[in-house]
Amino acid sequence: MKPPRFAYAAPESLEEALELLKEHGSEAKVLAGGQSLMPMLNLRLLKPAILVDINRLPGRDRIDEAEGMLRVGLLVRHRQAERSPLVRQSLPLLAEAVRQIGHPQIRNRGTLCGSVAHADPAAELPAVLAALGGQVVLRSAGGRRVLPADQFFLGFLTTALEPEEVVEELRLPVAPPRTGAAFLEFSRRAGDFALVGVAAQLAFDAAGRIAAAGLALTGVGGTPFKAASAEALLRGQAPSARLFAEAAERVREEVDPEADIHASAEYRRHLAQVLTRRALEAAWRRAGLEAA
Amino acid sequence: MSSAEPSFQVIGRSQPRLDGPEKLRGSARYVADLHPAGLLHARLVLSPHAHARVRRIDTSGAVRAPGVVAVLTAADLEPTGLLAEGEVFYAGHPVAVVVAESEALAEDAAELVEVAYEPLPAVLDPEEAMRPGAPLVRELPEEHASQAMAAHGAAAGGARDEPRPRNASDVVRFRRGDVEAGFAQADAVIEATYRAAAVHQGHIETHGVVAEAAPDGSLTIWTSTQGSFDTRQGTAGTLGLEEHRIRVVPMTVGGAFGGKFLLLEPLAAAVARRLGRPVRLVLDRVQDFLVSRPSPAAVIHLKMGARRDGSLTALQARLVFDSGAEPGSPVGIAALLLGGTYRVANLDIAGYEVLTHKSPAGAYRGPGAPQAYFALESHMDRLARRLELDPLDFRLRNAVREGDPRPDGRPWPRLGLVECLERLRDHPLWKERPAGPDEGWGMAVGGWPGGLEPAAAGCRLDPDGTLTVQVGAVDITGSATSLAMIAAEVFGLAPDRVRVVNRDTDSSPFGGSAGGSKTVYTVGPAVQRAAEDARRQVLELAAERLEAAPEDLELRDGRVSVRGVPSRSVTLAELARLSTRFGSRYAPIHGHGRVAQRSSSPGFAVHLARVRVDRETGEVRVTGFLAVQDVGRAINPAEVAGQIRGGVAQGIGRTLLEQLVWDDAGQLLDANLADYRLPTGDDVPRIEAELVEVPAPDGPFGAKGVGEPPAIPVAAALANAVEAAVGVRLNEIPFRPEALLEAMKRAG
Repeated sequence: MKPPRFAYAAPESLEEALELLKEHGSEAKVLAGGQSLMPMLNLRLLKPAILVDINRLPGRDRIDEAEGMLRVGLLVRHRQAERSPLVRQSLPLLAEAVRQIGHPQIRNRGTLCGSVAHADPAAELPAVLAALGGQVVLRSAGGRRVLPADQFFLGFLTTALEPEEVVEELRLPVAPPRTGAAFLEFSRRAGDFALVGVAAQLAFDAAGRIAAAGLALTGVGGTPFKAASAEALLRGQAPSARLFAEAAERVREEVDPEADIHASAEYRRHLAQVLTRRALEAAWRRAGLEAA
Repeated sequence: MSSAEPSFQVIGRSQPRLDGPEKLRGSARYVADLHPAGLLHARLVLSPHAHARVRRIDTSGAVRAPGVVAVLTAADLEPTGLLAEGEVFYAGHPVAVVVAESEALAEDAAELVEVAYEPLPAVLDPEEAMRPGAPLVRELPEEHASQAMAAHGAAAGGARDEPRPRNASDVVRFRRGDVEAGFAQADAVIEATYRAAAVHQGHIETHGVVAEAAPDGSLTIWTSTQGSFDTRQGTAGTLGLEEHRIRVVPMTVGGAFGGKFLLLEPLAAAVARRLGRPVRLVLDRVQDFLVSRPSPAAVIHLKMGARRDGSLTALQARLVFDSGAEPGSPVGIAALLLGGTYRVANLDIAGYEVLTHKSPAGAYRGPGAPQAYFALESHMDRLARRLELDPLDFRLRNAVREGDPRPDGRPWPRLGLVECLERLRDHPLWKERPAGPDEGWGMAVGGWPGGLEPAAAGCRLDPDGTLTVQVGAVDITGSATSLAMIAAEVFGLAPDRVRVVNRDTDSSPFGGSAGGSKTVYTVGPAVQRAAEDARRQVLELAAERLEAAPEDLELRDGRVSVRGVPSRSVTLAELARLSTRFGSRYAPIHGHGRVAQRSSSPGFAVHLARVRVDRETGEVRVTGFLAVQDVGRAINPAEVAGQIRGGVAQGIGRTLLEQLVWDDAGQLLDANLADYRLPTGDDVPRIEAELVEVPAPDGPFGAKGVGEPPAIPVAAALANAVEAAVGVRLNEIPFRPEALLEAMKRAG
């Protein structure tokens, strides 16, 4: 279990890193936390000519908030986001999702931008981005572009990221007041990739109705599943167990998961329904408006 | 839990493992840590096909790759059968070995070996393989008794002259009385089929070996093994060498559980002999899954009858064990235990070992027993439920006692099944069985007959006043600490004043393999005798020095003194120095002990488990666990409890999580530790270990083997708990959440 031979560069600046990517194109792979890349190298599923190690780039590990968006920098580790008071306060959904990524050892090294760039169909963060309508900032030597989640995730381990680009930043809208959120996932064993995961966020208006609903699932297809019609069903409605059950039923009808050795398609569909209902109920409960 | 008796100073008092510090600090040396000068690295090329003819192996590209020293196929080695010869019988069957100056270069070059295969029909399901007209898996070798099974004491008797169905490599049949008459007498007869998946032993250290040949062709083999003498014998037999020409050095074992018996050693040795340089062959995780010997899948069809008064009337069973591409499954022991745990007058058990095109099966912690008891103990609960009997009383009524016949007709030696059941019956957890919503409790029995193998030991007094105990048994469980405690007890020393060493097969007294729950049971008495012998020598020498009769002397805290006259004394260190210096007139202190017990020590356990079921997802979580086990005598209670907890954890893994999955073409789909789910701390609850002590007549201080039993009853305990929680039962391990959902839906 040794990686194939590769060249290695450890640039000291983002500009230098982007120049290397420009030079090597699809022959290069970016090494950040390495939590997906290193196993793939060791299993020889990938044979890049060069690894561009970006871990030395200065000042790229910031989480901040600007213009109503939480911004997560290139080298922010999962553990950092998990422990960040800012994340907990302004985007509880992200905090809860990050906590469920792998194990502490993985979260200590893995980066949020790296996970999004890798786009594993069972990963947590793509679903959070999809649920919230987040943005992915892509950077190359030639400039910067900002893509909404639904234009970034294209298929199984496939994104709009060009070989000379890195995911420079994630932007996620800060949760408005009167919001509740839940990230629930099901796996046979704690810390494993989820069979199905659900990101749900409900914002309520002054009358206690659902002003905005963000709902997306992971593990049910090549890309995160944005449950748009369930969101539409929820919007403007008074929350109730029945409403959530109806939304969950709609999700069950619309997802089209595949079978693998861990679960059948039908079971995943069933989990999508159960977890959606539970996540919506939890989000409602956490908004603290049940009495209203 | 303390079993310390006033008469013992060391035995029964919990003591940290002597091997703990080096393992915790990371300073223990494993095979993969060895780097002798001139070391070469070997990498196996494995068959991607479950069954194929090997048309051609083109090694030319690999030979030219950087750092490559040799690329060898079957014909290049002596003997030739160490790699596939012309035909492969499972995906993972080694066809070539690439040897290079580094591990990475060997792996690079292995990708360049081009093998032309002609795929042949593969038979993957044992029941299909048994049908007339099914493709023949392979010509059966003449002799196929499994060394590993024998090492576990898992070789069972029983008639073996039964007709063999197609692809069956072994048939075992046990009969007693008339089962039809027995079923006719029953008030309830239940029949069901149980399935257990193949699982890997889950040792974290993969298989690994370093072999070096001397110019005269004799060999040194450093290996991660459960048995150094077994490895020496197996390698010598395979290579056609006399045993004394092979020195096996057993290294620290990073997990074994039945999986670390002779596997790669002959191949590595043959390569080292051929190339004249030391060769290291350490499997990576994927190859370990493909090449090592998993615990076999089993299908057990069971029919049992009982009367309303709780007496069993008949037991009929058919077992099919999927042995993979080579014979060596534990179907015989499974059949023996299935019919040997309860008193039943009428028995008919047929066990079939069937070959398929999958990785050959091997031993795993109580080989055959977890499969057998999953069926038996699920069935016992069903019968109790049907007859409205208390499940514990029902078992107690039928449990075998000393002298009862096993299915092979031999009487059970002393065993503690009844005592374990009684202990559970009196335990507050059984009486109360507190359960929240969707929770339920289940109990189950499991047992292991216990292995036997002769052993010898040496006990030397060193000039620093410590004892060096020499044994030939490998320590895979902390057994060396128990052996040290046995010698320490005899000498009245603290256990950390005793070193237990097992250097290599050249210098160690004989000891059997660490398997079959027999290391402390068989090597312990040899150590005890060796220590007693050394003690006698010490007292004789001291008597001469102190001018007193040996019977007037006492040995305590490293000092021999005349009873009642403490000033007349001499230390162990002084006696050792006296007898190990130039010109001394005293012979050195060196005790010997050897033993060949005739009576095994069956180890029985009774488990009580609580589960919580998520009715919407089908998830089962274990929320409480009590393991009651007869251990004869707990020499080191903390260690015994630790072994019990480890066994239960493995049982939980096998019941809820673990499964080797092959696709329709015979490809193993979860040959990694991400997809193959070993339990983690989160999956295992606090496990309470309750030790019952029914002394074994031939065991050291009454101790019996404790390693295997705790892994055995778990599956049935959990299945019974699931039924208690949600009213439905699963007949297949591992439990699939989907299957439980389906069952609940069917039950309404």
